[in-house]
Amino acid sequence: MATTLEQQAPGPRSAEEARLLALRKKEIRDRWIWRIAGYVFFLLAWALVSQIVGPNLIPGPVRIAQTIPQLIESGRFFSSFGATLTRIGIGFGLAFVLGIVIGVLTQSRWLDGFFKDAVTISLVSPSLIWALTGIVIWGFEPQGWIFAIVMTTFAVVTVNVAEGIRALPKDLTDMSRAFGVTNWRRQRDIVFPFLAPFVFTALRFGFSVGWKVTLLTEVFSSNEGIGFEMRVASQLFRMDELFAWAISFFIFALVLEKLVLQRSERKFFRWRAEAVT
Amino acid sequence: MATVATTAPSAQRGLPKWVKSPTFARILFPFVVLGIWYFIYYTLDSRIFPSPQQVAVFMWEEITLTSGVRYSSVAENIYVQFGITLMRLTVGFFIALVLGTIIGLAMGISKKVDAFFHDWVMAVLAMPALVYALFLGLALGFTSRGPILAVVIAGTPFVIINIREGVRNTPRELIDMARSFEVPQNKVTRHVLLPSLMPFFFAAIRYAYAVGWKGLVITEVFASDRGMGWTIKFWYDAHRAHGVIGYAIFFIIFALALEKLVFDPLANRAFKWRPRIDAVGLAEGDMTAVASEAVLLLENQEVEQGVDTTVAKGGNF
Repeated sequence: MATTLEQQAPGPRSAEEARLLALRKKEIRDRWIWRIAGYVFFLLAWALVSQIVGPNLIPGPVRIAQTIPQLIESGRFFSSFGATLTRIGIGFGLAFVLGIVIGVLTQSRWLDGFFKDAVTISLVSPSLIWALTGIVIWGFEPQGWIFAIVMTTFAVVTVNVAEGIRALPKDLTDMSRAFGVTNWRRQRDIVFPFLAPFVFTALRFGFSVGWKVTLLTEVFSSNEGIGFEMRVASQLFRMDELFAWAISFFIFALVLEKLVLQRSERKFFRWRAEAVT
Repeated sequence: MATVATTAPSAQRGLPKWVKSPTFARILFPFVVLGIWYFIYYTLDSRIFPSPQQVAVFMWEEITLTSGVRYSSVAENIYVQFGITLMRLTVGFFIALVLGTIIGLAMGISKKVDAFFHDWVMAVLAMPALVYALFLGLALGFTSRGPILAVVIAGTPFVIINIREGVRNTPRELIDMARSFEVPQNKVTRHVLLPSLMPFFFAAIRYAYAVGWKGLVITEVFASDRGMGWTIKFWYDAHRAHGVIGYAIFFIIFALALEKLVFDPLANRAFKWRPRIDAVGLAEGDMTAVASEAVLLLENQEVEQGVDTTVAKGGNF
């Protein structure tokens, strides 16, 4: 298909080209039809299961949609969002900085060897152990949850930055060495600009891990925030509230991740084709 | 490894060569951690923060089953608890594998099926384990059903994404050629489709196991009365920091053993025939990231360079 398109000279549209265009349009339309069908199917299935099992155990989509305005009215909604976002900001912010620093340091083979096991351990271990360890040591002090978020998230950032380091154009670094450019200038003028898109990817992946572990720490060591509210709702057997909290923050995080971060990533690095792919 | 340093002018700084080798740095790391631990132990004003010896003694007693006398409130010993978790993980994993392979194949073959499932697969993939852990605890009680279902929920999307990507990466020319030479279908499946699907299938297994385990231990905290997750929560509730830290180390050893002793050798054996996988970024849309990581992961295993990216970079808990 693609070859026939390329061979056609630009000019009046041939019958073949028109046919392909119509085919493509049909494909896009089909995709949307099936996508909407998927939404309808899953929402109906959910509502049906909720009716069979009982709406108190599995609340249907309508009931959850009605619960969210109630939560907003109660005044806890925005304060909980604020509390959780503050935690994410502090905890993930620190993890992000630490992850980048370690990632940049892996340029040195010695430091790469030094941090290698730390990164592996952080990647393979579940967030639960860091959450419990941090909180059992520091209690409700901020160090506890900061420790948990940092230990879970920093390696995700480091791995992405280290990937950028590995892809660093070797001819440029070699040349800068040959001309005796200082290390700091090499970092500033070659390494950092090259790493920028990788840092952005690291931010996106790190955030997707970071907000989940933040909710987990709130379950154990907080008296406000989304995670805390979810635990309270589950202890009071208010399933509709549990789902309302979970889904509202879930949608918020997804929008932030997919729309805001991914879009801006594409926008910033449009000039660099290889960075976007 | 150490020979690289010879060209650098910094080699004259007077340090012996073996100190500068990355291997030495790697060995140094645990000692630095131990040093930090002692530092916190002596500076932190805490009654429960344990010294490394305390934790080591605790772990030794757990392994040799000599501490059961003192803490009889833990019903089962460590081997039984880890066995229970491993059993739940394996059962849930196989369900996820079957379910994910079916849906993934369908999504890879048909664009309509793909459009139907895509957004919902992504939604389940991005859902925090905490949500279904709390829900399953209330809905199914403290049986094994909740934790097994948690593994299915956590693992299936990863299987789907990788299988779907594998189908899409099957070289079309080979299938077309096989058709034109009238090769029988079962031969095409065996010699074209399966080999090209293999690396993706393997990535699916590895991801699903790792992610399923992470989801499972969180679920065991809220929806179970036994298993690894429950045991570490027991020590947390008992305010025994040495128990929590000891079990955290057991968790890490368990995860590393699974990676290094099971999956790495398996990967090496499965891909001996294949020099390099060269399919990155073929799909459009959201799933690209995860799938290209799967490919990257496989490349890394073969080339053995840089940082170990043995586990999914996105989408874990």
